[in-house]
Amino acid sequence: MSVRFATPRGNLKAVNDVTIELLAGESLGVVGESGSGKTVLSRATMGLLPGTATRTGTITYQGQDISNMPKDEVRELWGTGMAMIFQDPMTALNPVRRIGSQLTESLTVRLGMNKKDAKEKAIELLKRVRIPDPEAMLRKFPYQLSGGMRQRIMIAIAVSCEPELLFADEPTTALDVTVQAQVLELLTELRKEANMAMILVTHDLGVVAGHTDKIAVMYAGDVVEYAPTRQLFANMKMPYTEALLKSIPRLETPTGSRLPVIEGRLPDPTKDEPGCPFANRCPYVTDKCRAEKPPLTDGGNNHFYRCWFPIGGVK
Amino acid sequence: MSETSQLSPTEVEKPVKVKRKRKRPIGFYLAGSWIALIVLLALFGWMLPAPSWDQSFYDSLGVHPFHHSHILGTTLDGYDMFAGLVNGARLSVLVSLSSVLIGGAIGTFIGVTSAYFRGKVDMLVTMAFNVMLSIPNLVLSLALLSVLAYSDENHPATITRRVSVLILSLTIVIIPILGRIARGATLQWSSREFVLASKSMGTKNFTIIRKHILPNVAPAILAIGFLAIGSVIIVEGSLAILGIGVPGGASWGSMLANGRGNIAYSPWEVYLPAGAIALTVISCNWFGDYVRTSLDKRESKI
Repeated sequence: MSVRFATPRGNLKAVNDVTIELLAGESLGVVGESGSGKTVLSRATMGLLPGTATRTGTITYQGQDISNMPKDEVRELWGTGMAMIFQDPMTALNPVRRIGSQLTESLTVRLGMNKKDAKEKAIELLKRVRIPDPEAMLRKFPYQLSGGMRQRIMIAIAVSCEPELLFADEPTTALDVTVQAQVLELLTELRKEANMAMILVTHDLGVVAGHTDKIAVMYAGDVVEYAPTRQLFANMKMPYTEALLKSIPRLETPTGSRLPVIEGRLPDPTKDEPGCPFANRCPYVTDKCRAEKPPLTDGGNNHFYRCWFPIGGVK
Repeated sequence: MSETSQLSPTEVEKPVKVKRKRKRPIGFYLAGSWIALIVLLALFGWMLPAPSWDQSFYDSLGVHPFHHSHILGTTLDGYDMFAGLVNGARLSVLVSLSSVLIGGAIGTFIGVTSAYFRGKVDMLVTMAFNVMLSIPNLVLSLALLSVLAYSDENHPATITRRVSVLILSLTIVIIPILGRIARGATLQWSSREFVLASKSMGTKNFTIIRKHILPNVAPAILAIGFLAIGSVIIVEGSLAILGIGVPGGASWGSMLANGRGNIAYSPWEVYLPAGAIALTVISCNWFGDYVRTSLDKRESKI
């Protein structure tokens, strides 16, 4: 799948020929820095792109090609088939409506429940996302809640219609670290309970490590490394993945030492430049990297990478 | 807060309910009671034991206010001022409320839907609103009135016709004013993530507009709507003074227009309807202002 945005500066390549596959109950982590196309990838898969975007390629959902489906039919899938948790729980709830009415909205609209059933289901959902005193919560307004609480509400809304596939778009970025762990734990539990597939989008390799089956690392709209989680951490091939991992602060590093960062910036996505997009920032760069873009190479064991000179050498 | 730090639902502290005392400015109560009074007079004024508003009392021409049988005096032509004001209130409330309600509903619908769906229609709507807003209110309604309710000696327009054309022309004036407010507010709210979140749950567009956009847009429209009521009353008065509103002292503006020439002999003929207009307009503005500021407070809390 590819996504292009029409901008005043020309066509912006947000996602280039990305192929991912997810089985029921599986979870995939999509990792990359800001602007690497993670959010666009997940929104494009659902079909939630703004009017300036064009999407090419195919999306197959349960054996059915949904990429050219009319909007009304795709909408039927939203909520019940695929649902999304948004990054910022502060803005993803309507400030003037009570939690109860927002939580029961999709239940009444999509599942056609009556008010009483919807309320009972809402209380059950709140219990499932571990919210204390759910009955009182239904009457509250979003501004009365903390970020972690709101994100739990968002999760409750997203799973209310029991979707098969859940997109979690940086669900923990706006939360502090202790709450992050709780929310991730909750997502994994819900996923296992309902055998739901999940795509977890994040910029933090640490977040995906314990909560996903496989990981796609994205850089400048490309998938640069794609492997089962264990395989990736044990045997990473791509210098970018390595750099990402190194830039996470660790307790073992001696006090006073500098945190390694990835120098430089993402290439301009509106320009079509030859060579590997990571070439200018890569510590192992060679002339070949600057001249020619590496293809996605199969490294065996379901491990794919996009590099001429992978770490540990070519098999 | 106890909820934020706990994972287990086992022990829950009931939050202590703090009773908040809302202090409203005194102007709010004054404005509110004046508006209530005017609306009550408009609805039930005909029940009051007052003389008929369109009957001339030839035995008491131009009597002072606080006269034993005419509490607010009479005009030089012998019309009872109190009855005239009560009847004028009915017309003012009818004209201003119906034009703001109809115009507001149409304007809100157009503004909200065009801003929600964007595209070419939105562009055309914005252009149309701008064109309409570039014509001064008074001139626009004046033009509409003189075309639609044309009258001369041979073809006199009935009062009903004049009133309905007046309402129609003021409605057309109101549509772009409230429509633009609705459009602007919708643009701001529809880009919020909760709209996308609701969409991603498969909610239909018009359900989103009804449940997510309108509740957020409504307060802004309400505040401007109150201000609009005030300006509609002023436009109605100005039209009457120009001689193309409702004739024969049936509205406040028309009473003012009739009494203009008599200001040296019976100044209350001018002061009373002018005062009624002024107080009503100020009340509407205060009320609208109060709605707006209380909104700002709620916004900042969110």
